[in-house]
Amino acid sequence: MENNEKLSPFHTTILVFMIQSGVMALILPQLLAETFGTNGWITVFGFGIIATVNILLIAAVYKLGKGRSIFQILEQSIPRFMLIPIYLALAVVWTLLGCMAGKEYILIFQMYAFPTTNPMEFKLIMDLLVFWLLTKGLYNITKTSTIFFWLFIWMVLLAFFFYSDFNWARLTPFLFKGGKFTYLESLDIYSSFLGYEIVLLLFAYTNQKTKLIKATLIGNSVTTLTYCYLAFITFGVYSLGQLKNKAFPVLEMMAYIRFPFMERMENLLFGFILFTVLFSILMYEWCALEMLKHIFPKLKANFLAFMLMLMCFIVAYIPDTINDVGDWLSTLSMIECGIAFGLPLLLLIVLMFQSMGSRLAHE
Amino acid sequence: MNKIMRILLVVTILIMLPGCDYRILERIGFTYAASYDAAPENQVEIGISIPRADPTIDLVRELHSAVGKSSKDARVKFANETDLLLVNGQIRVLLYSEALARKDLSNEINSILRDTSISPLVKISLVNGNAKDMLFKDYKQHLSTDKYINRLLEKASTNNRIPKTTLYEFERDYYDDGIDPIAPILKEQAEDITVDGIGLFRGYKYIGKIYNKDVLLFSILRGKFKKGDMGLDLDSVRDNDGSHEYIMFTSVVSNRAVHVKHNANGPIHVTIAANFKGSIHEYIGDLKLSKDADRHQVEKKVSEILSERGNRLVKQLQQYNVDSLGIGMHVRNSMSYEAWKALNWSEEYPRIKVDCQIHFKAKDYGKIR
Amino acid sequence: MTFSQVLRTMMIKDSGKNSGQEEQLPPEQDIRPPTLAHTLEEFQDCSDITHLTFPNHQTDLIYFDQMTDKDKLSRHILKPLLSGNDEEVAKMLQHLQPFRMTSSKSLILEILSGGVAVFNGQDAYAFNVYSPENRAISQSETETVITGPHDAFTEQVSTSLAMIRSRLKSSHLKVLRLSVGEITKTDVYLLYVKDIVNMRFVEEAKKRISEIEVDAMLDTNMLIQYMDDSKYSIFPQFLTSERPDAIVSKLVSGRVAGIVDGSPSAFTLPTSFFEFFSSSDDYYQRWILGSAIRLLRFIAFVITISFTAMYVSVTTFHYEMIPENLLLTLTESRSRVPFPPLYEALLMEITIELLREAGARLPTKIGQTIGIVGGIVIGQAAVQAGLTSNILIIAVASSAIASFVIPSYVMSASIRLIRFGLILLAGFLGNLGLVFGIAAIVIHLSGLTSMGSSYLNPVAPFEPKDWKDIFIRAPFKSLRERPTQSDSPNKVRNKTKE
Repeated sequence: MENNEKLSPFHTTILVFMIQSGVMALILPQLLAETFGTNGWITVFGFGIIATVNILLIAAVYKLGKGRSIFQILEQSIPRFMLIPIYLALAVVWTLLGCMAGKEYILIFQMYAFPTTNPMEFKLIMDLLVFWLLTKGLYNITKTSTIFFWLFIWMVLLAFFFYSDFNWARLTPFLFKGGKFTYLESLDIYSSFLGYEIVLLLFAYTNQKTKLIKATLIGNSVTTLTYCYLAFITFGVYSLGQLKNKAFPVLEMMAYIRFPFMERMENLLFGFILFTVLFSILMYEWCALEMLKHIFPKLKANFLAFMLMLMCFIVAYIPDTINDVGDWLSTLSMIECGIAFGLPLLLLIVLMFQSMGSRLAHE
Repeated sequence: MNKIMRILLVVTILIMLPGCDYRILERIGFTYAASYDAAPENQVEIGISIPRADPTIDLVRELHSAVGKSSKDARVKFANETDLLLVNGQIRVLLYSEALARKDLSNEINSILRDTSISPLVKISLVNGNAKDMLFKDYKQHLSTDKYINRLLEKASTNNRIPKTTLYEFERDYYDDGIDPIAPILKEQAEDITVDGIGLFRGYKYIGKIYNKDVLLFSILRGKFKKGDMGLDLDSVRDNDGSHEYIMFTSVVSNRAVHVKHNANGPIHVTIAANFKGSIHEYIGDLKLSKDADRHQVEKKVSEILSERGNRLVKQLQQYNVDSLGIGMHVRNSMSYEAWKALNWSEEYPRIKVDCQIHFKAKDYGKIR
Repeated sequence: MTFSQVLRTMMIKDSGKNSGQEEQLPPEQDIRPPTLAHTLEEFQDCSDITHLTFPNHQTDLIYFDQMTDKDKLSRHILKPLLSGNDEEVAKMLQHLQPFRMTSSKSLILEILSGGVAVFNGQDAYAFNVYSPENRAISQSETETVITGPHDAFTEQVSTSLAMIRSRLKSSHLKVLRLSVGEITKTDVYLLYVKDIVNMRFVEEAKKRISEIEVDAMLDTNMLIQYMDDSKYSIFPQFLTSERPDAIVSKLVSGRVAGIVDGSPSAFTLPTSFFEFFSSSDDYYQRWILGSAIRLLRFIAFVITISFTAMYVSVTTFHYEMIPENLLLTLTESRSRVPFPPLYEALLMEITIELLREAGARLPTKIGQTIGIVGGIVIGQAAVQAGLTSNILIIAVASSAIASFVIPSYVMSASIRLIRFGLILLAGFLGNLGLVFGIAAIVIHLSGLTSMGSSYLNPVAPFEPKDWKDIFIRAPFKSLRERPTQSDSPNKVRNKTKE
């Protein structure tokens, strides 16, 4: 069933959104405040546009490659022994990225509950869920993502709770004042948009009906809008200095929500963020798995998935403080930014050579 | 494959059975209210009140206090005195004595802000007198004191006797460069606790106080105000012509606008225009409220009195040099960022000219014509 | 299950044991001519068989008395024989010509299905006078509605088929007969409406049913487990219903229905998870009411799944989440309980399941008593004895009640079982455990398929058009198309002018 089912546009959109949104969303407003200062939420659009440009780059690959998978494109021109180190490197980066995102999520959760439980216990369950999904194949993954999306997106409605505390005067009329711009921090911000580059690997699972690029662009805009809305509310609810001082402003905002039958919603809502975090992790691991499948074509996919998740679990033992994990994550996201732009460029170059080659052959 | 997965999942879960982070409800002592007092040698005295709900014992709440260098230091001491696991997740009220607040609250507030278990909706209040004594005393005709204080503050802020001051608002105003934080002040009065006024802060330091009679006016000037009662003697404006004129009304709707005018040379001119509508509950005087002309006269009188009192209030704030009304926010938003940074607001603030224009409108005047 | 089927089961097994090699052949291939001696040998030791001999006419009758229609038997067979009139007997034999049997085995099968075997000289005839004891059509016990038709299928498949035919008067309603069960030879009927159904599903269902190789097939619910896509799943992958109107509505929406002889319930396919939350009642009510009730069912689902688990999670780990007004009440009620919340909750959940099971197994009247005694007495006493907190009792009871709101008994049972898993997870890992559990359920659900179509249709794959007939029951005016899941070649179902 799975092999002949191609992705539908809606599912692709949701998938892209689910990959993009993740733990970084919790920290995003703080990073924006610190880097850009007043009205930093506007820059979310800028980052969104950068991501759009990157997606268009991928679109060019998709169009020139005529929907061939990147493996087919690469393997046509570059000998396999040269590609294997590249595949391996990509697989390692993606595995680690997924792994660290998961660990970060768990460590943040542990600040609120279960402070003394071994974080690796949670990580184990999380990795099991990821592994389970990995073995189900892409089509089922997208189906799951749709349900997870609905379980997650309703939380946007909770922003209504802050309307009474929202104050336009607090936003100030100043544009990007009082922040300390560094390239490193803005890369961190950009990393919360990462995830769209995964569509590079989805080529093989699409057809004309998928409208892959359009769906990805829409997914990216949904992410941008959600982030923007979130940041906008945060900037209006918190004063700038306060925002700069908060480690997890979004979580703290959730603590503000109070129902007559339940308080301190962050304890529960943070759990619901798992749905999107799980997907960010899953898709990076999935990409790593795709790479591994091409490195070891003879091995069974499920075995590879198992080894992958085992590695992912073991590596997660190494960094054990929230700062360590944060550092790993920043470094990895920086590399990932490079991949997001570099890989499509590499593919474009390869494609250009290929088209030149074929033209020569024609002559 | 799925079957294996599922078995694996179940097995791992079973292995992980024992967690050690249990916070089982009846075995934890959740602090409900805490008091902070200044103690000699720069120490703080901390008192906590833990409600007990064991039907087998008569105890309503457990009280502990200790003196320590910091709040956490003191906590360690009284954690040894109780059989319960002390937790902070249900703190509702934090009481600081005026004496401590005059020194500086930054250590206390920061340690609270760092604690992930403490809700941002914790109410912050000052106590005129000793905070611990107030918290530890049992008030005969009221609920257990911690709950009494919590509900008192809750009621007072919903009725707009005092502005809402939770940890979130307190911190937010602290960090905002255009407004200074405030907190209500409680006072023990025989067998009751009453609201004594509003404490004005500069940073985390308690500077001065607004007395009870001006609290409603303060709320109106601060904006975001829905409901509150106010009584006024209208005689003070005119010469006393023998009749005593008194009005009592409930404000229903109010809005506030702040207009900032920069004069080339001279102080910044700020106009706080507040319009509010109210229902007249009580009127003692000669005028007939059903007559438009008469009513307008009363309205005008009220507006004049309030505007004048408002001006006095702002003067008082300027003397303390605390911008509790958030005028700075509007001044800031009326100029460029560079100019605002160049302007030393805390120096400029006492010099600016503030004009309160309060307009009262009677929405209705009860069942009598 | 009817008596005749039990009989058949027993009979054929016996004959298999007693007989030699030739009897191993299936009846269609056993072409030995039927003889009286052989037939009697087959039914040796069957004391319930009736063997009448009429030496005057060289005629023998063999039949099962309890399975035959006495009236028909005497009118057509016995009367001419008893009259002693040769002419009449000859006339009767003339009438019987179409029913002449050529093989012994098929004759035996005919006797087993309620026929009377007439031996006249060398010839053997089997005349069907089958008239089993039949239960009268009554209301469905498991799927009651308030408005709308009240009749339900009976164990007699002919009755059930008649009920469907009478509601769906179209020659396009096709009925395929298949046989399952090597010994029971149970008839399974597949129904579909030609031109509305997607034949893919019919073919697939036919294939799956014919692939079943089992000795006995006793009920619809048993058959569908053989047909499941994921045999290990906890969720039912076919909708079953006892209500003819429900089955007809599924048929006209392009689904395939199936009935097993001897079972009062029919199944339909393909099925989605959300179908289990709708009841025929929704369509008979005004649409707003129908929609409200549907939403209520989904709320009930959430309550069933999460109430007790939330209680455990909150009282064990997340005390911060309890609002002030509840805090002291909750602490007070918990303070006398000697167990941690997890054990307390499991204890009460198991108790309530015991009560439910006891109530279901006992006769209705005693069942009700058990409910009252168990529910009120044990609940009250447990609280007073300090074994549980009263708030937990409320949580457990409301989640149990909520589970019964779900119209499908099979689904509601599955959900109730899942709840235990969530309670355990909540007891170990608090809210995160709860979310892990929900994630696991969702992952499992989205991997499920029903006859190859997604179980979570129309949510995933995303078909917003169908939502108005899944989460709410929109006015009929807007329900214009058949559900996408049935993938019908004939999409439009409602052409009423507005």
